[in-house]
Amino acid sequence: MKKLLLAIAFLASAPLRAEDAAAILAKVDAYRTPLESFAIDVELTAYTPHNQAESSKFRVYGKGSDRSVVEFLAPAAEKGKLLLMLRDAMWFYMPTASRPIRISPLQRLMGQASNGDVARTSFTVDYVAKSVVEEEKAFVLDLAAKDADIAYSRVQLWIDKTTYAPLRADFYVVSGKLIKRALYRELGTMAGRRVVTSIEIDDLLRPGNRTVMKYANLTPRENADRMFNKDALGKW
Amino acid sequence: MTARIAFRNVFRNRRRSAITLLVIVFGAVGLILFGGYKQQTFRGLRESTIRSRLGHLQIYKRGFASNEAKKPLEYGLDDVAALRRAVESDKRVKMTAAQITLMGLVSNGDKSETFIATAVEPLKEKQMNGYRLVGGTDLPANEPDAVLVGRGLATSMHVKAGDYLTLMTTTTAGSLNATDVRVAGIFMSGIKEFDDRAVKMPIAGAQQLLQTKKVERLIVMLNDTDDTAAVRADLARTQPQIEMKSWSELASFYHQVVMLYNGIFGFLGLIVSAIVVFSVANTILMSIFERTREIGTLMAMGTTRARIARMFLAEGVVIGVLGAIAGVVGGALLASLINRGHVMLPPPPGYTVGYPLRMLLTPSILLTAAFISIVTATISSIVPALKASRMNVVDALGHI
Amino acid sequence: MLVSLTNVSKSYRLGRVGVRALDAVDLDVARGDFLALAGPSGSGKTTLLNLIGCIDKPSGGRIVLDGVDVTAVPLHRLAATRRDTLGYIFQTFNLIPVLTAYENVEYPLLLQNVGRRERDARVRRWLDQVGIAAQAQQRPDQLSGGQRQRVAIARAMVAEPKLILADEPTANLDSDTAAHILDLLAKLNAETGTTFVFATHDPAVMSRAQRLVRLHDGRISENAHALVA
Repeated sequence: MKKLLLAIAFLASAPLRAEDAAAILAKVDAYRTPLESFAIDVELTAYTPHNQAESSKFRVYGKGSDRSVVEFLAPAAEKGKLLLMLRDAMWFYMPTASRPIRISPLQRLMGQASNGDVARTSFTVDYVAKSVVEEEKAFVLDLAAKDADIAYSRVQLWIDKTTYAPLRADFYVVSGKLIKRALYRELGTMAGRRVVTSIEIDDLLRPGNRTVMKYANLTPRENADRMFNKDALGKW
Repeated sequence: MTARIAFRNVFRNRRRSAITLLVIVFGAVGLILFGGYKQQTFRGLRESTIRSRLGHLQIYKRGFASNEAKKPLEYGLDDVAALRRAVESDKRVKMTAAQITLMGLVSNGDKSETFIATAVEPLKEKQMNGYRLVGGTDLPANEPDAVLVGRGLATSMHVKAGDYLTLMTTTTAGSLNATDVRVAGIFMSGIKEFDDRAVKMPIAGAQQLLQTKKVERLIVMLNDTDDTAAVRADLARTQPQIEMKSWSELASFYHQVVMLYNGIFGFLGLIVSAIVVFSVANTILMSIFERTREIGTLMAMGTTRARIARMFLAEGVVIGVLGAIAGVVGGALLASLINRGHVMLPPPPGYTVGYPLRMLLTPSILLTAAFISIVTATISSIVPALKASRMNVVDALGHI
Repeated sequence: MLVSLTNVSKSYRLGRVGVRALDAVDLDVARGDFLALAGPSGSGKTTLLNLIGCIDKPSGGRIVLDGVDVTAVPLHRLAATRRDTLGYIFQTFNLIPVLTAYENVEYPLLLQNVGRRERDARVRRWLDQVGIAAQAQQRPDQLSGGQRQRVAIARAMVAEPKLILADEPTANLDSDTAAHILDLLAKLNAETGTTFVFATHDPAVMSRAQRLVRLHDGRISENAHALVA
């Protein structure tokens, strides 16, 4: 009997058409980056199996899906530092330095920069849905990276069947190993829209290590293009 | 006649001449033995540097050194199989070994550290034998996911042979990749800072991790080090898509050792020269003193000052030449005795067995020792000879 | 005149003291003379001999040797003159110890760059003349005093100089040997016409001299000719 039910459930799942998949992805992304040009407050707390690290506070200025500047606000020691995140490059700026430092792709692997990458992944822009499976309360989309230089070559995405809000995303690398898991914990209303206000990102290579990012004060803001230039860092 | 007089005067006072000759011989022998030791050390260090680490030639894709790669292996060698066939078709080539160097993060589930991996062909790496295994086994031939971990890294990752780690890096395209690897063994390279980060992995595993078929470099091992320049020239002609480095461009430690030992050898040469100068000058001065009346007589007979000077200068040359011959023969004999004697030296730091003391005599060492003997003996007799030539005849004749 | 000395004087310093070895000496030596400079030690005879022999320089006066004024010429430049014109015989023989008798006699000819065959002929002739042919291959330390002096004489004669200077040539020989040596020298003077000037205080030598010049305190006290006809 159980086997029969499973078989029916399996038959009930079917690959969606391409337009459907793309439309769904667009709706998902709307919960995460609803505005083209914006500013948002982020509070990040990193948890290890043994203790809880201090929370950090940032203000993030974003434009489009692949440009953002992160301004460090707290703790006091980090205040004034800036991180410029572009699609192909990341630059770090410290108030005491005269020039920004380029962060290599390898260095992006380390620490919270990698979580930042995960949090701002644009599913619409970078991925294409290979298949959709329907579960009881969610759609499970199997996403493949469009380009070979996208950080995570495969993502498995759970979205709410009715609201299309993202529930969970599993990030896989080329070898098929599961590296990170994002859990979209809370939704809230900011700037008149329903958006994700809390994400938990689990580091699956180091079980017990997770990062929680809370979003607040999403405001539309005209961010000039020149803000996202490494030479402009620290000058605005 | 000048030479005849000089020669016979050297033998006139046997004991004094013998002592001076002994000084020269000792000096020459010392130079020869140290020179032979130095040459042997150079050759040993050169060969071990080449055979265990650098290879005779390293082949890269043209542009590797002058361009900065934005992605891993952007300037890597492709079509490696064809290149290897071409290189190995030369009879002077013993073998080629492909390598990739890559960096990334290694994680044991609790923490991550950066690693620097040398991806190698396991069997060839074992032939080169540039490291010491301190735990576990060597890289197996056919297991792409087995790695060797440097001792410091093993300690900080809390792993031993048989444990697992995860390596993470970016592919040649720029996306992330990670793979689980089994620690097959733990090794030491001799450089602590290196072992704190080092991983050795099979090149197949690295290529899988990097998602590429390229390699970073091809190491070429020759049968005879002296063929290096010729082989390089031939390859430069037939393979325009590559650029190469010779072992000599990469062996900075070897060159430092060479400079150091040559400096010491030069210093030793100076000391020997100084001692010879004093000894020979003293001997010649004593000879002049004893023959003052003779000099006066010769001058009275019409011998020019120049000829007098030449006579004593010749004495210095004769002493130098005799000393050089005896020194070279003695030094060569002593060196070959030592070589046959298999004297064992204590093990150098990091090794468990000693090695035999050997001297490698080259013609240049023997010639240098002979040259120093002759030249210094000659130079040291210049001033005494000039002094003798300027003697006052009457005073000289009246001398006891 | 072979040698002419005019108003010749020689002074030198002995420590802080100035010594006048010769004072206003006038002397002529003719070709063929067999002349003895006689006097006690300190009389200046050796100094005078050295001046004539061009191995010392006068402090004042003029010396003409074989027509050439050698007064102002530096001593080392007179080497050729000594080589070609003069010969020396010493009280202590002064042979070169590492050379054989033959080679000692050969030496002056080598200085003159004489060819091998002629050298050999002349050396043998002179070894013969002085009666030392049998000892040709022996070194000085294997010869008696008389034999050594004979070698020295052969050496002095081999280059056929015009003038031979002999400083006390018999002083280190016993009286018999000395007599033989004197005979030899007189014979050579008579046969070859070579001029001989001796410095001596030996009466035997003085008695054989054809001219006798006595010196006292740096001055000529007597200048006598032909004591013996």
